[in-house]
Parts: sequence; C-alpha cells; structure tokens
Amino acid sequence: MNCIKQIGLVLLCLGLSSPGTALEASPIPKGLLRLEPYPAPAIELRDLDGKPYSLQQEQGAWVFVHFWASWCRPCRDEMPAIQSMINTLQPEGLGVAVINTAEDEDTVFSFLSVYAPNVRPLMDRNGQTTEQWQPRGLPATYLVDPNGQVRYQALGGRAWNTPPYLTFLRDLLSNKQRTKLLFTNASKPHQ
Amino acid sequence: MSLRNIIFSLLTILLSLTSQPGSYAAIPPQYDSPELALGLMPRTPQQIAAFYEARGFSEQMIQKLKQQCFITVWIHNKSSQVIWLDLSRWRFNNADGVVARRDRHYWKTVWDEMLIPLAHQSTFRWTLLPETLDFQPDEREGGNIVLPRDDKPLQIQATFMTRADKSGTPITVLFNNIQCAKDP
Repeated sequence: MNCIKQIGLVLLCLGLSSPGTALEASPIPKGLLRLEPYPAPAIELRDLDGKPYSLQQEQGAWVFVHFWASWCRPCRDEMPAIQSMINTLQPEGLGVAVINTAEDEDTVFSFLSVYAPNVRPLMDRNGQTTEQWQPRGLPATYLVDPNGQVRYQALGGRAWNTPPYLTFLRDLLSNKQRTKLLFTNASKPHQ
Repeated sequence: MSLRNIIFSLLTILLSLTSQPGSYAAIPPQYDSPELALGLMPRTPQQIAAFYEARGFSEQMIQKLKQQCFITVWIHNKSSQVIWLDLSRWRFNNADGVVARRDRHYWKTVWDEMLIPLAHQSTFRWTLLPETLDFQPDEREGGNIVLPRDDKPLQIQATFMTRADKSGTPITVLFNNIQCAKDP
C-alpha cells in the first residue's frame, strides 16, 4: 500500500514538473498567455545601487520578469500595480526582476520615485538584455518557473494587484510549494 | 475580402477625405470594425524632437529624425482570433509612386554609421511599430512608422492576415490623403 502511495506521489510530482503541463489550478487571467516552455534567456544586471542580480540566483522560485521604460504610457499606468503585487507576493516567495530598458539612472530614479518607490529596478543600460528576451513590446512581463523555463507571457500592461492575477500567481507559488513537499514526502523512507 | 471589410474600408476612405490635410488638430484617421481597430497619428517634427530630446538623444540624432515623416500607429485586435501585423504587407504610395518605409534595418545602418550609443538605438527601436506581430485576442500595441518627409498626400494600405495559421480572410484597410504633420 505504501509502495503504491509512493508511486502515486512520484507520478504526481512528474506531472507537475514536466514541460507543457498546466501548473495553474485557477483560470489564467485575461491577457496572460501560456507558452510552450523554453529556457529563460540569462539576466545578469545591476540595480540602481550597483548591486548585481542574476536570474540564476532565483532557481527554485517562480520569477516575475518585467521590462519597462519611462516613456511608455502603459508602463506608467502599470507600475503602481506591480509594486503593490510585489509587496504582497515577494514575501510569499515570488522572485522579481523589474528591468528598465536602456535608460539612465536619473530617469529611472525620477520615474520610480513617483510611480513605484519600493521597486528595485535592474538597469539594462544598453538594451541588450531586453533584445535577448524579444518582447512583443513594452511593457512586457514573463513568468519563469522554478526550473528556469519561461511559462507565461502577459500582453501589455496588467492589473497585477487585482484578485484574478494575485490568485493566479499565488496558485503558481503554492503549486511550487506542493511540488517541493511531494518530493520531500516521496523521498522519505518507509515508516 | 468580405463585403463587411470592403464597406468598412470605404467608410474609412470617406472619413479620411473629410479630414483637414496636414492639420494636426484634425481627428486622426481611424478604422474601426468588430475585428480590428487601427489608428494613425502623424507627428510633427517638434513633437518628435521633444520626445527624443527628453530621452537624451544627441542633437545629431534629433536633426536626422526631424527630417522624417513619423506616423504613430495603434492597433487593437478586437476579434477572438489571431490577427497578423506584417509591415511587409503594407503599401505606402503618393502621387509619385511607392514610398519606401524606413525600417529597423535602415535605422540600424544609419545609427551605426553615426556611432550612436546602443542604449539610444535600443530606445529608438522600441518606439517603432513591430515589423511582425501575431496580435492575440484583445491585444493592443502601437509604435511609429517612419517615411521620408514629403508634402504629397499619402495613401496607406494596411493588410492583416487572420487566424494563427494565416488561413483566414485578410483584412485590408485603406487610408487616403494622409499628410505628414508639419510644425505650426
């Protein structure tokens, strides 16, 4: 019986972690596209204070990857919602990479001090990291799974701090927790 | 092309004919159907200079850009299927014939020759309308198209393929009498 339970757990784990499998239990909110998973391009940038950031450091967590520029009107509209969502979900385990595309420190500082003072911006100074990701336009948001695979893409600006998006993101985070738990249980020896 | 698309295109032509040529205050040319909304907004050299100056572009770049005809395009896929933007399917004509659009490749060459920093090249690229994009249901995107500046009225024919595999009925929109916007 224990053996059957273990096999079941392992199968469930494999199902949750295999590429192309739906990870969400709640419906995908409007404007979010599920993608055929592909490896996330590298992000090796520094923040406004010069502190380095690497997407690789986030391995094992879902990561919200966002590209923006101050001149883009929808970016301006969306940024307060992003800050609010980050304030809520980063403490729950969401990784965050908010990347400014090809602007200088003064511009980024002035913009964020008005629209999202708590956001830690990563500086893609020459725009080449953004080019690697090939967004559809700006703003652009991707959700990267704990294995470093790009799983979802948002179309334009989204109300990230509203229930459909928060529920969806929480669902991803809890799936990750569940996956971790199942792996832990499955690897426990027979009682 | 379906009868409905033809009717909408004709309405668009009529609307554009009634607008004031060259007048920035006039209602910008727009097309609106149950499937697609498309708008054009010609920009004056002053507007373009102000926008890019605020992004820190050099005087050399600004002078180059002020010589162009910028038209901001916005597109909204209102349908429940994919609509394909493919700028190679758009036609730009004036009384002299075909007007060649200045695409990303053109600008890359210009900026490289002018030794423009990558950051400014990148920002400029992001302000252009994508060359191709599979507009998802309800997706909206916009950006500039750049043409040589000229006083002659332009005809712009925008053709969009439909469905993910491009097998649907194409949507063709025709705008007549589009003028490059002038400074007041």
